[in-house]
Amino acid sequence: MGISRQNRVEVKSMLTAISSKPSRSGQVHTFSALDNAVTPHTVHVIFYYPRSPFKSFDLDSVRIPLSELLSMYPPVIGRVNKTQEGILEVKCNDAGLRVLKAKVSVGIDEWLRSADGHEESDLTAWEDMPEDPSTWSPFRMQINEFEGGGVAIGLSCPHMHADATTLTVLLKSWTEAQRRQCITQPPSFFPMPYNLTDTDAVNSDRDSFSKPIAGPVSTKTATATFRFSGSAFTRCINEHSIHEISPKATPFDVFAALFWTRVALVKDKSDRVCLCVDFRRLLSNPLPYGFFGNALNFSSLEMANVVEVAIGHVARLLNEHVSSLNVEKIRSGLKRARSQEKMYGKDLTIVNMEHMIVEGEPLMYQAVFEEGVKPMHVSYRIGNDGGEGVIMVIPSPEKGFGRTVSVTLPEEEMSKLLSDQEILRLEPEVILKGVK
Amino acid sequence: MSQAPMPDFSSSVKLKYVKLGYQYLVNHFLSLLLIPVMAIIAVELLRMGPQEILNVWNSLHFDLVQVLCSSFFVIFISTVYFMSKPRTVYLVDYSCYKPPVMCRVPFSTFMEHSRLILKDSPKSVEFQMRILERSGLGEETCLPPAIHYIPPTPTMDEARSEAQMVIFTAMDDLFKKTGLMPKDVDILIVNCSLFSPTPSLSAMVINKYKLRSNIKSFNLSGMGCSAGLISVDLARDLLQVHPNSNAVIVSTEIITPNYYKGNERAMLLPNCLFRMGSAAILMSNRRSDRWRAKYKLCHLVRTHRGADDKSYYCVYEQEDKEGKIGINLSKDLMAIAGEALKANITTMGPLVLPASEQLLFLFSLIGRKIFNLKWKPYIPDFKLAFEHFCIHAGGRAVIDELQKNLQLSGEHVEASRMTLHRFGNTSSSSLWYELCYIESKGRMRRGDRVWQIAFGSGFKCNSAVWKCNRTIKTPKDGPWSDCIDRYPVFIPEVVKL
Repeated sequence: MGISRQNRVEVKSMLTAISSKPSRSGQVHTFSALDNAVTPHTVHVIFYYPRSPFKSFDLDSVRIPLSELLSMYPPVIGRVNKTQEGILEVKCNDAGLRVLKAKVSVGIDEWLRSADGHEESDLTAWEDMPEDPSTWSPFRMQINEFEGGGVAIGLSCPHMHADATTLTVLLKSWTEAQRRQCITQPPSFFPMPYNLTDTDAVNSDRDSFSKPIAGPVSTKTATATFRFSGSAFTRCINEHSIHEISPKATPFDVFAALFWTRVALVKDKSDRVCLCVDFRRLLSNPLPYGFFGNALNFSSLEMANVVEVAIGHVARLLNEHVSSLNVEKIRSGLKRARSQEKMYGKDLTIVNMEHMIVEGEPLMYQAVFEEGVKPMHVSYRIGNDGGEGVIMVIPSPEKGFGRTVSVTLPEEEMSKLLSDQEILRLEPEVILKGVK
Repeated sequence: MSQAPMPDFSSSVKLKYVKLGYQYLVNHFLSLLLIPVMAIIAVELLRMGPQEILNVWNSLHFDLVQVLCSSFFVIFISTVYFMSKPRTVYLVDYSCYKPPVMCRVPFSTFMEHSRLILKDSPKSVEFQMRILERSGLGEETCLPPAIHYIPPTPTMDEARSEAQMVIFTAMDDLFKKTGLMPKDVDILIVNCSLFSPTPSLSAMVINKYKLRSNIKSFNLSGMGCSAGLISVDLARDLLQVHPNSNAVIVSTEIITPNYYKGNERAMLLPNCLFRMGSAAILMSNRRSDRWRAKYKLCHLVRTHRGADDKSYYCVYEQEDKEGKIGINLSKDLMAIAGEALKANITTMGPLVLPASEQLLFLFSLIGRKIFNLKWKPYIPDFKLAFEHFCIHAGGRAVIDELQKNLQLSGEHVEASRMTLHRFGNTSSSSLWYELCYIESKGRMRRGDRVWQIAFGSGFKCNSAVWKCNRTIKTPKDGPWSDCIDRYPVFIPEVVKL
């Protein structure tokens, strides 16, 4: 392995950010069956900005819109409580959002070039729920200031509370409030449509308080992020003649298929993957983007001998699977989820984030504090994953067919993947892979 | 606690009318006397007829010297009178600081921080929770940014930053409201009890606003929660000496450096009650300000009980067993406050009470001392002397005690209770938030008299009497503007946390 490195991220202080108005007393946010299913995991979003909108943070002008926004999200500032029947719920008691302030000893460009997955995880708070969560803030924000300007804002929470879309919309709404604009995706706390909720009572006999299950996590994992441009997509299509086999292949299908086959080669198996798709907009009565909580469908996909199959076929399989998702499939997916222990990483997991592209624009890159200063990169990470690997296909900052693919794999497999010719032929910009 | 010294009547209604009649008779005695006198003179004049009146006039034998001497004499006396009259001091306007929403401290956050910081002293955490439940504070009180950190970061920089935030915002607002130019400020008094850096806070203000080099500036520190009225007293005295001047007073308490970090129970109390706030006041003795001034200062009475040891030690700053500095509040604080109040109103009473009450008090005194009758001491009815009361929002117990002692109704102490609920104990500036509450409710009319009572370490009880100069329109902006419609709120005895 490489030389053990000194920690380049140093957390300096911790404070609590408050909402601007007291909430109605006695408000309680309950968890759905899906929320309980994703319990072992944590979700983290990191927004990288070339220029920091913060000064001291204490009295910055961004604090007031943050406080006003937190008033709209009572579950974010509440605390987890175990009822007498042993069910977990969030007591919306206004306790506040924990904010950590950290300093990074390098510049943001150097960081993106040289940091690896483990270091990137220092940019957000990774904590599991303690035994007594009454003074523990489930949502945590970490503000990391880089040398020479630049900031990374990390938002994290237990996956039980919310999914990546919710966190993205939360931060985006903050930037909209700060620029005094209308919040385009206001939070919605209505429960899931009745035909999707399980009628069985949800309880925590699954021991959701306990520490994450030991096991596959003991293998060290590595992460790398591949940024493909729109022309890479076109090249891939042409080289593998994808449109002849699958004329409707979307950028997700193509890049997911590419990585599935290449990772399968590196792994020596992997005929089966787990596909994670957000179903907010897939329902007949679509849920708003501001729906607070989890709206993810996990389903299994199999393709025999995927290593040898042409990418076009894999792309077609993915395409058909995603476009055929309907309420029934989502419902059965939810039922199955209850019996599984880990949703991400038990098999190689592919996460689809195409829903984040609204009218051609990627949602997360619209989180702009100052005019003209867009995020230069947005990372998504899942904590406590099963160890087989996670591939996330995320929209690129530019409109079009380019995608950013973030891959988490066991270390040896990752080092092999980084030298894979099929991938490197498409000339991706590889960041956050660490330095050997 | 008090009974009327008159024999009991059968019904209280009759008693009420008797009291009213008695008060009217005694208070308007001279006017009532004037009526028969004028009647007699009128009758006499009418009886005499015009010719006789002219004869009387001619017999007076005016000559030039007499006329000149008499008029000279009259002019001389009136000049001496006007020159020796103390200058009227006006309160032109004032402004109170409204903290930004991100400094808000909900109960849950306060208790959570308390649990995280005092994790080794669960009993102290329990104690704090009990105090907070019964404190009368609401969910919108504010603490400075440094206290929102875990653990709090009370550095000198943070303290200065809090001071700049609260003082400059209040002063900017005051300058805007009154149209005062910074270079026209003649006297500057800043009072902040627990934070006294070098250069002083008054020097900080002078530096920020580029005030004149011949300004008379004062910085009062260490004088406790009653320092606001001490500053007013100082301003009044200075305005007697300097004609045609104005004075700016800034009353505040800087919380950042004084957050008690230990776990001694008696010293944790201020953490639960003290909150961020400040007020800036413009006072003037210029005649041109007479028309736009809001209030006229009528009386200011200061009482110091420091000579008594118990009073001196009852609010005492000291180090605890671990060497952490905090303010120790003794258990007989209420009793001492009651004593101090009695001393104060003994001096205040004769100045403000109508003649009817003073006479009753005199009778009661004579009866008890000279004739040794077993009457209870008569508590004069101060509600006859004042329309509004501003009792320092030091804590729920203080307000309850004073309400009981002075026999005030719920509406009289409403301003104090609601200020405690919305802003917490902001120390010397709380009286100004209370006054602002009364104005925001539209209750302040021309001619209304206001009594401000402040208690402070020492032990001091200071009170000021203001008379409203012009009916005050409900202010459009101010600390209460966004929430006044929600008030008054019902404050339960114990809030369930």
